[in-house]
Amino acid sequence: MTTLLAANQLTRTFTMPAGPVHALRNVSLEIAPADYLAIRGPSGCGKSTLLHLLGCVDTPTSGELSFEGRAVEALPDAERSEIRLRRIGFVFQRFFLLPMLTARENIEVPLAEAGATRAERRTRTSELLDYVGLSHRADHRPSQLSGGEAQRVAVARALANRPRLLLADEPTGELDRATGEQIAALLDRVHADGTAVVVVTHDPEIGGRAARTLMMRDGRIEDGRA
Amino acid sequence: MSRLTRSFGFAARSLRRQPARASVGILGIAAVGALLLDMLLLSRGLVVSFHDLLDSIGFDVRVVAGDLGPIGGPRLADASGIARELAALPEIAEAVPIRMAEGETPAPGGVGFSLMGIDVQARRPWTLVSGSDRLESPGRSVAPGGSAAVPSVLVNRRLATALRVSPGDQIRVRATCSAEQSAMPPVPFLVAGVADFPFDTESQLSAVALRAAVRSACGTGTDDTADMVLIASREGFGADSAVSAIRRRRPDLHPATNDEIVARMQQQGFSYFRQISTVLSTITMLFGFMLIAVLLTVSVNQRLAEIAALRALGFSQARIALDILSQSALLVGAGGILALPLGVALSVWLDAILKKMPGIPMTLHFFVFEPRALVWHAGLLAVTASLAAAYPMWLVTRLSIASTLRNEVVS
Repeated sequence: MTTLLAANQLTRTFTMPAGPVHALRNVSLEIAPADYLAIRGPSGCGKSTLLHLLGCVDTPTSGELSFEGRAVEALPDAERSEIRLRRIGFVFQRFFLLPMLTARENIEVPLAEAGATRAERRTRTSELLDYVGLSHRADHRPSQLSGGEAQRVAVARALANRPRLLLADEPTGELDRATGEQIAALLDRVHADGTAVVVVTHDPEIGGRAARTLMMRDGRIEDGRA
Repeated sequence: MSRLTRSFGFAARSLRRQPARASVGILGIAAVGALLLDMLLLSRGLVVSFHDLLDSIGFDVRVVAGDLGPIGGPRLADASGIARELAALPEIAEAVPIRMAEGETPAPGGVGFSLMGIDVQARRPWTLVSGSDRLESPGRSVAPGGSAAVPSVLVNRRLATALRVSPGDQIRVRATCSAEQSAMPPVPFLVAGVADFPFDTESQLSAVALRAAVRSACGTGTDDTADMVLIASREGFGADSAVSAIRRRRPDLHPATNDEIVARMQQQGFSYFRQISTVLSTITMLFGFMLIAVLLTVSVNQRLAEIAALRALGFSQARIALDILSQSALLVGAGGILALPLGVALSVWLDAILKKMPGIPMTLHFFVFEPRALVWHAGLLAVTASLAAAYPMWLVTRLSIASTLRNEVVS
């Protein structure tokens, strides 16, 4: 199996006034290009911390992380940002769509940042809106969208630059069950179309759709099964 | 699309999202920028205006007898001889002695005014309004209808109104050429014309006659003194060459170019305006800085999670910082543009107030527009925008993406 992302003995310790908090302890894992991984566990077990390290938005206290064979933990901000922009997509629990932009414009943000031309942006945005079933809502602002629609726009935005890895942090956390099912189905489809997906979730049903699930407790991987 | 264009587009949308806050920022900068522009106009306004005023009468060098200047200093003796000697120099086109005196029409209802005696030649340091400015000495022919024995005089508009005279009328003037001199009987003058004198204040009553006529009216017919000799340098030589030539020829005289006179004034009285302008400019910039810094900092603090999300999506620290700088530039830029008409209108109003001070020539302005003021205005506002953005930019660049996203979910 070719490795897309490899974490070796990742540790993340936060310095707090009351003393150090060990959020992650010696976690190692590998993610293949077509992987579909769910990370589950109780609140505060280190799921999101692990996701942030995998997504290059945080730096491990110790350990190594490589993305497409390249060590990333010590890269400067500009290069890590470039990897996040072009190779990794992020979906957040609270969507974080920009309220002053329409759905189409929100999807265009990472495209524009990556230097896509106006025509390229238009084409790709239309494709993605169609992909998430929101072509008819293209010119609506986030405040005019339902939670499920906003999250679908967020997924489309995450896919804008054709990332190799999609990271989703509790993507159904703010949604009702039926809407959450739609998002889970969308993630399934993203995976089926060739993008590796890592999803952090409390929801066993969402977790059950992944090919692999990692159970975490107290900053450690408790159980990993294919 | 360049990164800068994207940043400005993004910043513009962010500002439109909070129209009230953006409006406060823009209007605040417009007010601050208007004051800043006025301070810039004030800092050099008087100097520029004074220089223009000196240049406007067509003479670029002034010769006096002492360092004190024409008012209160010693007078030039044998002024006619000096004028002839200087006019003979190749660097000099014209040398015109002038003598300041006081005039008064006889009581009852006597009106006092400044009376200047001048050996007028080709250049006329005034603007004729009506009549003729051909000044005649006693005993020579005058304007049509006048008496050959009566010298002519030019009066300014206010004096013409006060005396209710117009060209062709005759007035009687009691002239005084020095404080020690006993009062002389009034002598007749023919009003040849009405003119505007550039150094007149708003309420000043003034008149000009030939120096010989003033001398005769003062009863000092043999006194050939002058307060000053106005020099026009010959074309191709310039004021500096004329001054050098005068110093070589007559080291006892004190010539000064208009530039030197302005520089001297700048070091003395005008420096107060520059100091006031510097202090007030600094304060207004400080207010602008604080306004924008507070607005941007509040905005950044409210958008931390959104900024963290953008960072997670691949926006670099530099890119996010550029967004903040662009927001600052847009606020300050829009406010700065609004400040221009506001500042100009304010300067006109303030100029009118300041010009009511006694002794200020009407043609002198405290606020004078110069292109360099615009450049300074833009430059200082750009510095303000950059400094104001510095703290919020620092905030966003040190923002921990992971902690911010985590805190947002926990909150």
